[in-house]
Amino acid sequence: MLTRREQHSLNSLPKQRFRSRCILVMVIAIYPLLDAGNVRAADEPASLEFFEKDVRPLLVKHCYECHSAGDVDGGLNLDSKAGVAKGGDSGAVVVAGAPERSLLVEAVRYQNQDLQMPPKGRMSDADISILEKWVRLGAPDSRKESRSGAIRPTGMSIEDGHEFWSFKPVADPAVPAVEHADWVQTPIDAFVLAKLEERKTGPAERADKRTLLRRVTFDLIGLPPTPEEIAAFLADESSDAFGKVVERLLESPQYGVRWGRHWLDVARYADSNGLDENLAFGNAWRYRDYVVDSFNDDKPFDQFLIEQLAGDLLPGANRETKTATGFLILGAKVLAEPDKEKLFMDTIDEQLDSVGKAFLGMTIGCVRCHDHKFDPLKQTDYYALAAIFKSTRTFGDTQTGVIKHWHEYSFATEDELAELKKIDAELAKKKSTASSFKSKATAKLRDEARAKATEYLMVAASFPSSASLTEVAALAEPLGLHPRILHHCRLHMQYHSDDPVFAKWHELKAAGNAVSEDIEKHYRPLFQNAETAFADAQKKDAKAKTLDDETLKSARAALHDLSGFLAVPPKPEFAFDAETLAEYYRLMEEARLAESNAPDEPSIMGVADGTVLTSLPIHIRGSHRNFGEPVAREFPEVMRNSTVRPVLPRNQSGRLELARWMASTQHPLTARVYVNRIWRWHFGTGIVASTENFGRLGDRPSHPELLDWLARRFMESGWSTKELHRLILSSSVYQMASFHTDEAIAEADPENRLLWKFGLRRLEAEQIRDAILAVSGRLDTEIGGKTLPLRNRQFVFNHTSVDHTKYDSLRRSLYLPVIRNNVYSLFSQFDFPDPTMPTGSRNATVVAPQALLMMNAGLVMDSADHLATLVLSESLDNSQRVNLAYERALGRLPSESESHRSLAFISGATSTALTDAASVDSAAEHSAWSMFCQSLFASNEFIYLR
Amino acid sequence: MAENITSECSIDSDGLLPARRRLLKSAAVGFGHLAFSALLAGEAAADEATSATPRQSDGPLSAKPPHLPARAKRIVFLFMKGGPSHVDTFDPKPLLDRDSGKPLPFDLPRVTFAKQGNLLRSPWKFKQHGDSGLPVSALFPNVAKHVDDLCILRSVHGTNPAHGGALLKLHTGSDQFVRPSMGSWLIYGLGTENQNLPAFVTICPTLAHGGVNNWGSAFLPAHCQGTPIGNASLASSAAQVKHIRNSRLTSQQQRKQLDLIAAMNRDHLKVAGNDQALEGRLSSFELAFRMQSTMPEVQDLSEETDTTQRQYGIDDPVTQDFGRQCLLARRFLERGVRFVQVTHSDSEVQWDQHGNLYQGHTKNASEVDKPIAGFLQDLKDRDLLKDTLVIWGGEFGRTPTAQGTNGRDHNPHGFTMWMAGGGVKGGFAYGATDEYGYYAAENKMHVHDLHATILHLLGLDHERLTYRYAGRDFRLTDVAGHVAKDIFV
Repeated sequence: MLTRREQHSLNSLPKQRFRSRCILVMVIAIYPLLDAGNVRAADEPASLEFFEKDVRPLLVKHCYECHSAGDVDGGLNLDSKAGVAKGGDSGAVVVAGAPERSLLVEAVRYQNQDLQMPPKGRMSDADISILEKWVRLGAPDSRKESRSGAIRPTGMSIEDGHEFWSFKPVADPAVPAVEHADWVQTPIDAFVLAKLEERKTGPAERADKRTLLRRVTFDLIGLPPTPEEIAAFLADESSDAFGKVVERLLESPQYGVRWGRHWLDVARYADSNGLDENLAFGNAWRYRDYVVDSFNDDKPFDQFLIEQLAGDLLPGANRETKTATGFLILGAKVLAEPDKEKLFMDTIDEQLDSVGKAFLGMTIGCVRCHDHKFDPLKQTDYYALAAIFKSTRTFGDTQTGVIKHWHEYSFATEDELAELKKIDAELAKKKSTASSFKSKATAKLRDEARAKATEYLMVAASFPSSASLTEVAALAEPLGLHPRILHHCRLHMQYHSDDPVFAKWHELKAAGNAVSEDIEKHYRPLFQNAETAFADAQKKDAKAKTLDDETLKSARAALHDLSGFLAVPPKPEFAFDAETLAEYYRLMEEARLAESNAPDEPSIMGVADGTVLTSLPIHIRGSHRNFGEPVAREFPEVMRNSTVRPVLPRNQSGRLELARWMASTQHPLTARVYVNRIWRWHFGTGIVASTENFGRLGDRPSHPELLDWLARRFMESGWSTKELHRLILSSSVYQMASFHTDEAIAEADPENRLLWKFGLRRLEAEQIRDAILAVSGRLDTEIGGKTLPLRNRQFVFNHTSVDHTKYDSLRRSLYLPVIRNNVYSLFSQFDFPDPTMPTGSRNATVVAPQALLMMNAGLVMDSADHLATLVLSESLDNSQRVNLAYERALGRLPSESESHRSLAFISGATSTALTDAASVDSAAEHSAWSMFCQSLFASNEFIYLR
Repeated sequence: MAENITSECSIDSDGLLPARRRLLKSAAVGFGHLAFSALLAGEAAADEATSATPRQSDGPLSAKPPHLPARAKRIVFLFMKGGPSHVDTFDPKPLLDRDSGKPLPFDLPRVTFAKQGNLLRSPWKFKQHGDSGLPVSALFPNVAKHVDDLCILRSVHGTNPAHGGALLKLHTGSDQFVRPSMGSWLIYGLGTENQNLPAFVTICPTLAHGGVNNWGSAFLPAHCQGTPIGNASLASSAAQVKHIRNSRLTSQQQRKQLDLIAAMNRDHLKVAGNDQALEGRLSSFELAFRMQSTMPEVQDLSEETDTTQRQYGIDDPVTQDFGRQCLLARRFLERGVRFVQVTHSDSEVQWDQHGNLYQGHTKNASEVDKPIAGFLQDLKDRDLLKDTLVIWGGEFGRTPTAQGTNGRDHNPHGFTMWMAGGGVKGGFAYGATDEYGYYAAENKMHVHDLHATILHLLGLDHERLTYRYAGRDFRLTDVAGHVAKDIFV
């Protein structure tokens, strides 16, 4: 019974159309008994004829488009007798003999806002009464067969699911034997080589030392190696030289900055809400720092998972573990959604979707409205999980206007709270100073205008309402009138030609003789008399609010009407003179800055348990207004590894039990999904390319045995990420060159799924920026702390669209604000992921705005200047300087021809930039070197990693 | 049991994205055509796979044949941020006038944005205009002169009563998730006709209420995203594409620098192997360099005659800002830009009169009325209107009931937008709200229907314009959308 638009799908929950229908479903079950008499009448020829003649055409005309054949919106098929009897997802539509209890009748009557059919508009009363009569008669129906064919099977059964690769238990595959065993440094190599040998080919050569060092340094800490590090590695001829580099990098705190950022992609981390109302997440940074620390400390992944889903419920829960639950609360929410139930269910959906994609590689969000189309996930699975999250609190008690706040844990002391109260009062005072300045200035303008009311009317009669403001201003200014008020006054006359107060104005204007004088003669005394009469009335009775004389009364009302003919423009820019405006803006900016710089209440963004529900009804088609059977809290059926079911506590949401179940070594997905992510971040493509989807529509693993082998080793190591790095980085696979001599394999496997070479990779946005800053000696490598220049819950953007966020910090990119709806341009141009959805595989596009950025952005040019200064300050000759710039930027020395070309460019650019042809001025020289350095940054070699 | 979704969730035979499709994802090159023949073939194949329409195309952005005969080639959306009131502009309600002050004689929606009072009559009078005699209020005296070109859609309705949700719904079809914007879908489906300019431009957009997501490409290839020119906090005269100018180098110096970069990149190709992304990046610098001169040329309004400037109200402080936006829009459109959005979003007083309806709407209407009329006339004079679809409207309308004494609340349940040109009937009113203007009642047109209709006018079948992402085929219209064929010429 739902239209297409009401029928929910995956990506937009429609406005809800139904109230709970459980009761109606039950009514239907007994209707054959109850209405037996009518059903009999329904078989009579006259009834059938009525159906054929009157009812059927209506159904065809108004209903079939969405409720017949293959197109059965809301699960309702009205093109057969059986379809009508069966009803839709919301239960029966016709209670034979009882129009008042039939959804069909309710819908066509258009009385229930949540249920109106046909959606394009109400049918005529006559047509509606035909349908009422039809139901009253017992819904006689002469049709035999449905026009629809067999219902297409979709989804996957639980049994089939158990046979699907990703739901099978993690295996313990044997390491395959290979021909070229000499290449095998780790079992990883054997798995990869075996596949290559099957194809009668082999791996690429080993990469040279400089390439390898640049690769692993960018990979592990997100920065290029320094010339000193290069020299040290080149000099180290020991067999474990590379291993030593890996250890050095894993020990660096910058490792957490790089790998924490990978996880933040998955956690859709941001410093603001985005979506509908962009409030600052002033405490999100604590979660960001928690993630960085967890990677640096090599926190076991099972523990990392449990803390993020249920850190607040752990025995010994503390600030750190509560901070971890930021994972669940960081999503983008429709904070101003007026329908609270919808908001809560939408938020739960976002959480389930994120948890599913991040940890399980499952698109659980698809199951909100119907069983999964492809994977063995049922709607019952969804609501079993949703019950756990419905028992969780994501929202706080406070709000900004209609904008709700998320839940936070305050750990402010009494003193701090008292201090904050003072600060809040000061901020409020600053805001009210600005607004009262505005009101006073407006009132002053209003008084001035009222004093010249007659003049406004006189001048307004001298030009047409279509006159431009420029023309109006030329008339207004010599007379000391406000151009915008005069302009408005003229429009007001136009809009109010039948207002009795202004009837005379129109009359005099139309008469056309000595208009100005006539208007003055009429209105000056009128306005004066009105004011005098009112003053007199007030003298008599201080409480007097109005006048008895209708003419004077309406004249005075017009004079004092705030949006009347003398209305002051509502926009300060249009109302105030430059000086007043400047003062108003100064006060506003002062208030805004005071807020931005004010300290936050020390608190954590994190979830807590709320009212515990042990079950939640299925929401039919995802609608929170249409409930089906209740489902008890549980874990998705296809992933259960035991028939013995867990008992969830009645006084807790069950998140802790869910987290522990997910983090168990028996879970088929958790370890696989995570080791695949790590592999993806090292190699650019996962063993399963679709890092967030291990379902039927996801990719199949290129090396399934390797994936399982890694997952097992990972769990055996105590879920240690750093051990996994060591394992992968010490493989020959990781150390291959990015170039292969065998063209046949490049032809057969252009995507390098078999790993015959190390794929060429474009640096990610943060790596590009950090490398530019590092190479030019500007990077600030400080770790941690709040870096968002906004107060918690402050508007990032309000209706003014002024962007106050600055990205001029020289700290690592991880610490730049991530503003949803307006991601930093360098980030967004270089494929920073959408921070509203979990992303394990970033894109690497090539678009022209990237080139504009490299050519013209201040960051790039300033850094080039710095690098130029740096090389020029060394006591070297120019060719040695070129060497230094090359080695800092590209990790290698230039060839002879490159060196020659660079020097030629620099000398040419110097002479172009010369202000005085006679002497080499140092500014010209510096500018030329800067252009050269910028060219290095812009080169492909700089941003593509071999 | 939504079997009808199956078509959108169809699975590839091998369960994998076609290799070329994936390549496209990683090497989408915009704004323009680059020498990328292999990639281009890939795009065509990918399209074939999802839209069942074989495309002859030679670039991810080059113009592509539509699914259906197109009535319009390009589109301009005049977006009125905040929610202009339909009952005060294009949808007169005599009963509202009569019953002002009385309560609404039927139920309010279950969820309203703010508390509402009794019915409030419009402060403006409506008059019939043109041969069609369609009524327009006194707020739009200039647009009223073009009423015979307007196709007034009086039964539009949406789903979200708050600005953020409603903006996102209108621009992307979803108020819950980040999804590609309407313009991005069009570019994805149709490409562009100018390889030196972005295919989709949004002039002075608002950064609030969805911000970038309102012109973003989400999971569609990056070249489909809108290019913002300035934003709502800037005067349109100061609006620029980011990083379009180099503040330090002359064009000649920069040319030398680009030659050096190109030489380095060519050497690098020899070492790194032939890689399409690397080659694409080489060309992207050339394109960027050309854009640096093309963009300022488009934005240079001094080429326009005084008459034209006056026609758009650029000589008048009230209309100059929006007039400049409209004139810019025309310059982009005539250079082959496919989708141009122009936004009226005042920094202080938007079309959002919860109070002070009279002054706020008066101000806003007087800022846009003349520029819009001038724009329509100019398109006509240049014979562009016939295949340019002009759309006017806000994210919702306003309630016929009062908020406070002289304001109106948000109303997504029934409101007016209008179209002109591009294959729609002129002097035509489609659909209706109830007698007071609260709910869409006849020929209701949901935002999804609007989207389906817009795509159709541009020659795209909204059910065939799909994109596979995260295991599902997505559409602008989700699983909804009916094309309102009655409005077509």
